Amino acid sequence: MKKTIIAMMAAGLALGAASMPVMAAGKTIAVSWKTFQEERWKTDAAAIKAVVEAAGDKYIDSDAQGSAQKQAADIEGLIAQKPDVIMVVAFDSDAILPSIKAISDAGIKSIAYDVQFEDPNALYITFDNVGVGRIIAQEVSKLKPEGNYAFIKGDKGDPNATFLFQGMMEVLKAGIDGGKIKNVCETFTDGWKPDNAQKNMEQCLTSTSNKVDAVLSENDGMASGVVAALTAQGMAGIPVGGQDGDLAAINRVAMGTQTVSVWKNSVDLGKTAAAAAIALADGTAMDKIAGVAKFNGGKNKVEMNSILLAPTPITIANIGVAIDAGHITKDQACAGVKAGTVEACK
Amino acid sequence: MTNTTSTSQGPALEQEGPIKKFFRATEIDTRILGMVVALILVWCIFDIWSGIIRPNEGLFGGSFLTPRNLWTLLVQTSSIAVMSTGMVLLIVLRQIDLSVGSMLSLVAVATGVLQVYQLGPSLGVGHPAIWVLGVVMCLAIGTIIGAFNGFLTAYAKIPAFIVTLGGLIAYSGVAFLLAKGETVAPMDQNFSVFGGGVERSWLGPFWSWIVAFIACAAIIYAIVNGRRQRQRFGFPLRPVWAEVFLASVGSIVMLGTTLVMNSYAWPPKLIENFAKANSIVIPAGIENKDGKAICMAAENVVRCTEGFILYTGYSLPALIAIGVCLVMTFVATRTSFGRYVYATGGNPEAAELAGINTKWLTVKVFALMGFLVGVSSIISSARLNAATNALGQTNELYVIAATVIGGTSLAGGVGTIYGAMIGALMMQSIISGMSLLNLAAAYQNMVVGGVLVLAVYLDQLYRRNVK
Amino acid sequence: MAKTPAKKTTAAKKISKPVAPETHETPVAVTGSQTFKQTRAQPEGIPLIEMKEISIAFGGIKAVDHASINLFPGEVVGLLGHNGAGKSTLIKVLSGAYKRDAGSIHVEGKEVTINNPRDAKGHGIETIYQTLALADNVDAAANLYLGRELKTKMGTLDDVAMEAECRKVMHRLNPNFRRFKEPVMKLSGGQRQSVAIARAIHFNARILIMDEPTAALGPQETAQVGELIKQLKAEGIGIFLISHDLHDVFDLADRLVVMKNGKVVGTASTKDVDHDEVLGMIIAGKCPPGAIPGPGAMRN
Ligand SMILES: Nc1ncnc2c1ncn2[C@@H]1O[C@H](COP(=O)(O)OP(=O)(O)OP(=O)(O)O)[C@@H](O)[C@H]1O
Ligand SMILES: [Mg+2]
Repeated sequence: MKKTIIAMMAAGLALGAASMPVMAAGKTIAVSWKTFQEERWKTDAAAIKAVVEAAGDKYIDSDAQGSAQKQAADIEGLIAQKPDVIMVVAFDSDAILPSIKAISDAGIKSIAYDVQFEDPNALYITFDNVGVGRIIAQEVSKLKPEGNYAFIKGDKGDPNATFLFQGMMEVLKAGIDGGKIKNVCETFTDGWKPDNAQKNMEQCLTSTSNKVDAVLSENDGMASGVVAALTAQGMAGIPVGGQDGDLAAINRVAMGTQTVSVWKNSVDLGKTAAAAAIALADGTAMDKIAGVAKFNGGKNKVEMNSILLAPTPITIANIGVAIDAGHITKDQACAGVKAGTVEACK
Repeated sequence: MTNTTSTSQGPALEQEGPIKKFFRATEIDTRILGMVVALILVWCIFDIWSGIIRPNEGLFGGSFLTPRNLWTLLVQTSSIAVMSTGMVLLIVLRQIDLSVGSMLSLVAVATGVLQVYQLGPSLGVGHPAIWVLGVVMCLAIGTIIGAFNGFLTAYAKIPAFIVTLGGLIAYSGVAFLLAKGETVAPMDQNFSVFGGGVERSWLGPFWSWIVAFIACAAIIYAIVNGRRQRQRFGFPLRPVWAEVFLASVGSIVMLGTTLVMNSYAWPPKLIENFAKANSIVIPAGIENKDGKAICMAAENVVRCTEGFILYTGYSLPALIAIGVCLVMTFVATRTSFGRYVYATGGNPEAAELAGINTKWLTVKVFALMGFLVGVSSIISSARLNAATNALGQTNELYVIAATVIGGTSLAGGVGTIYGAMIGALMMQSIISGMSLLNLAAAYQNMVVGGVLVLAVYLDQLYRRNVK
Repeated sequence: MAKTPAKKTTAAKKISKPVAPETHETPVAVTGSQTFKQTRAQPEGIPLIEMKEISIAFGGIKAVDHASINLFPGEVVGLLGHNGAGKSTLIKVLSGAYKRDAGSIHVEGKEVTINNPRDAKGHGIETIYQTLALADNVDAAANLYLGRELKTKMGTLDDVAMEAECRKVMHRLNPNFRRFKEPVMKLSGGQRQSVAIARAIHFNARILIMDEPTAALGPQETAQVGELIKQLKAEGIGIFLISHDLHDVFDLADRLVVMKNGKVVGTASTKDVDHDEVLGMIIAGKCPPGAIPGPGAMRN
C-alpha cells in the first residue's frame, strides 16, 4: 500500500495527477539506451529507475554504446530476461524495427522513448516539439498582448526554425490580424549564432528607432545576443522569449532580462515514461493510459499511440523547478540577482 | 664614364594631365581611393534604400547614414578588423590561418569559464582582478596557440593550410568541451566594458575630441617630419600644396569621424537612468519634436529637441580597432620585423640568404595573429556578454575575405593593413545594410561572396593596367 | 644632362693594404692523401678562405664531390665549369645557403662553422647569387639593407638614410639608375643585378663571391663591374668569380679553378695556361702541364 502511494505520487508528479489503476508490484521494466556517452541520458535513466523501484518493480537496462548492432543484441538479451515492458531509445529508428517486432512477438510491450520508431504496437513518448514555439509566444504575449514584435529566427537551413516560427504564429495570429501585434523585424540567423543574432537585433533596433516591445528568439543562445543588443540601448527588460533551458538563460530569467526559457526537462520525460511503463505492465490498455493520443506525424505517417509532453516554460515565477530538478544550482541561477527580487533565490 | 643625352632609364616621362600630376604629387594609392569611393557609394545606396522602406533621419532619409548606425557599424566591424590586420601579415608571408574563428571560440570560452565559474564564485562577482586576469588570459592563450600553429608550420614543415585546417576543427572541439556545449554568461561587468555595449565603454565627446586632436597632431607631425627627413638628404620633395592637401584630408577624416561619433546620443532609456542615478532634473517637454534629447512630458520621458542629452563618442572596441590598425601599420612599415615579413613574402629564399631567420619569423607572425585573436575574443565575448563555442565560428572566412577585399594578394608579398580595415568595413557595411533592409542572411552571404570575387577581379585588372 | 661623376671612393672600408699575389715554386700538400708537385700556381701565406674536401649530394646526385679550393687576400679566383658542374653549389656551401655533407671550411687558417647565411656574413663573406636573391616586392634600398637595416634613434627603420646610402652605392655601379622608390620587380635585369652587386660590396666584405655577376649587364655596366673588381682586389678583398666568359676570367682573375661533374679538374695561375687549355679542362677534364690537377682530372 505504501509503495502504491509513492508510485502514485511519483506518477502524479509527472502526469499531473491522472487517475491510475491499482498496481501490483514485482514487474520488470527494461530499457535499451542508445548511448551513455551523452550526459543527459543518465539523467533520464536515474528518473526512470527511481519511479520504477519506488513502485516495487525491477529496473534493468543496457547501453548500446552508439551501435545499432549492439542495440539489437541488447534487446535480445533483455527479452531473454522476460521483462514486462521494454523501453527503447533507438540509435537507428529504422534498423530497430525487427527488434521491436521480436519484442511484440515475445508478448512484451514496447515504448519508443524520445526517439520515434514507427511501429503501431509501441507507445511513443516525447516532448511536443511543435509546442515549444507556441509556449514562447504565449509567455511573451501574456506580458505584451500588443505592440511591436521582433522575431529572431534560427538558421534558414534548419526545419526546426520554421516549425518554431509556425508555433509562434499560431498563437500570435489573432493579435496580428487584429492589428494589436505588429511584426517589425523578422530575420533568420546564420548558424543559430548568438553574435549574428546580436547584429540582427542591433540593425532591427536601428531601423525601427528602438520601437520594439517584445522579442521572440528561437533559442536561448540567440537570446543572449538579443539581450546584449537591448542592453546597449537601455532596453533590457522588455519581454524576450527563448528555449533550451540554457543555464545562462535561466540566470537571465532570474535577472529579469529574459522572460521565458522553454525547457524540456528530461526528468519529466523519464518519470512519465516510467509511470506509463508501470501502467502497461499492470495490464492497462495503451490507449487508456492518461495523456495518450494518436500521433501520425512521423516519416511514414504510421499512426501510433503517443504521449506528447508539454515542455516547461521557465519564468521568473518558477525558476525553483529547474533548481529542484538539479538542472541548475541555485548559485548559478541566482548569480548577480539583486537580493529579494526573485522568490527562488531567497 | 660618359653621359649621353637621354640615358635616363625607365620609360620617358610623358606630359601628364592635372589629374595624373595630382596623384603623382600626393602619392595617393588610387586603388585604396577606389575602395573608399565604392564604400561611400554602398553606404549611400543603403541609406536611400532603407529610407524607401522606413524613413529615418539618415543623410538621404534612411537608417544607414545616421550617427547611430555608423557608430554601431564600427563596433560590429571591430572584431573582424582587428584579426584581419594580423591576417594581412600572415598572407603577405605566404602563410594563412584558417583556425582564427575556432581559436576565438576557444579563447572566449576559456576566459568565460575562468570568469564565470572560477573567479566569480571565488573572488566575488565584480572583483577588479577578474577582468585583468580575463584579459591577460585571452591574450596569453591566443599568443600561445598562434605560436604553436607557427611552430608546426615553420619547424615541422607542415603546410600552414593543413596545420590551421586541423586547428579549425580541433580548437572548436576543445571549446565545445570547455563550455560543455553551453553558453557561459554573463561575463564580468568590468570585462564587458570592452564590448562597447555599456555606458562605461563610451569615451564621451570630450575625450573623443582629445583623441581626434592627438591623431591630427600625429598626422601633421608625420608629414612634417617626413619632409624634414627627405630635406636632410636633399631628396626630391612633394610640392607643398600636396603636403598640405594630405595633412588636411587626414585631419578632416579624423575630425569628421569624431564628429559623427560625438553626435550619437545615448539611448533615451540610458539617459533617463543616468539622470535618475545622478539626480539630474530632466526638463519638462515643451514639444515632442522627436529630437535627440529627452524631456519629461507628464509622467513619461519623451524625446525633444532641447532637453537633457549625453553623447557617446568613440566606443572602446572601435577605439581598440583603430589603435590596432595604427600600431599594425607602424609595425608593418616602420620596423625591421615588418620589413622582413614583406621581404620574405616576396622571396622567401632571398630573405633566408639575406640572413633572416624565416622560420622564427613565421612563428612570430603566427603568434602575433594569435595575440590579435585574443584581442578580438575579448571584444566579441564582452560585446555578447557571453561566451559560447558558436562565437567566432566561420570568422576565419570573414577575416580572410576582408584581407583579400583589402588588396592583399594570396600569392604573398603584397598587402596593406589599412586596406584590410577598409575591406572589413566594406563587408560589415553590406551585412549590416542588408540586415537593415530585413534581407535574410542567405542574401547577405550571396552579396558578400560576390563582392569578394569582384574585388579580386578589379584588383587584377588594376594591377595589369598599372604594369 | 649634367651629372656628378661617380666618386672613386668605395663604400667598403679599406681594411688592409693591398697584397700583391706572389707566385712560388714550393711543394705544398694539397688535399687528401695526394701530394702534388706545386708549380707557380699558389700565393704564399695563410689563405683567407680554405674549403677542404667539400661534398654535398642532392638525392643521388653528387653535386660537389670532394672539392677543395682556397683564396688569398687581394686575389681573384675564377671558378669555371660546364653547366651543372657544381660551381654555384660549392660557393653556396661557403655562403651558408647549403649545408655540406662533408668537408671543412677555414677562414684565415681557423676552422669555422658555417651553417647559415648569418654565419657566413659574420665572417665577412658576401655573395652575389646567380639568381640575385632579391626580394622583388620591396625597393632597392630595402634590398640593399635587408637583414641589417639602418635604424633611427627610436629603433624604427630609417628609410631615408637607407635610400641615401643606396643612392650613393648605386651611383657608383649604375649612374643612370633613378627608380629608387619602386619594387625591384619593376626593374630591368641589369638594374636588378646592380642592386645585388651593391648589396654585396656595401658591407665591408673580406671575401666576395660573385656568381655570374655580369650575366645580365650591358657592355658599359660590365666594364664598370670589371673596374670594381680591380678596385676591391686592390683593397685586399678576396674574390671568387664564377663566369662562363673566359675573356673576363683571364682579364680579372689571378688563378682559376675548373670543375667538372662536381669535382675539381685543376687549379692554375692564369699566366700559366691559355684559353684552349682551359677549354680542354672544362670540356674534357684534361689537365694541362701548367695546372695542378685535382681529383676530377682525366687520368691516362
Ligand atoms: N637545390 C638543389 N636540389 C637538387 N639538385 C640540385 C640543387 N642545386 C643544384 N643541384 C644539382 O647540382 C648540380 C650542380 O648544380 P650547380 O647549380 O652547382 O651548377 P653550376 O655549375 O652552377 O651550373 P651553371 O653554370 O648552370 O650555373 C646540378 O646537377 C644540379 O641539378
Ligand atoms: Mg650556377
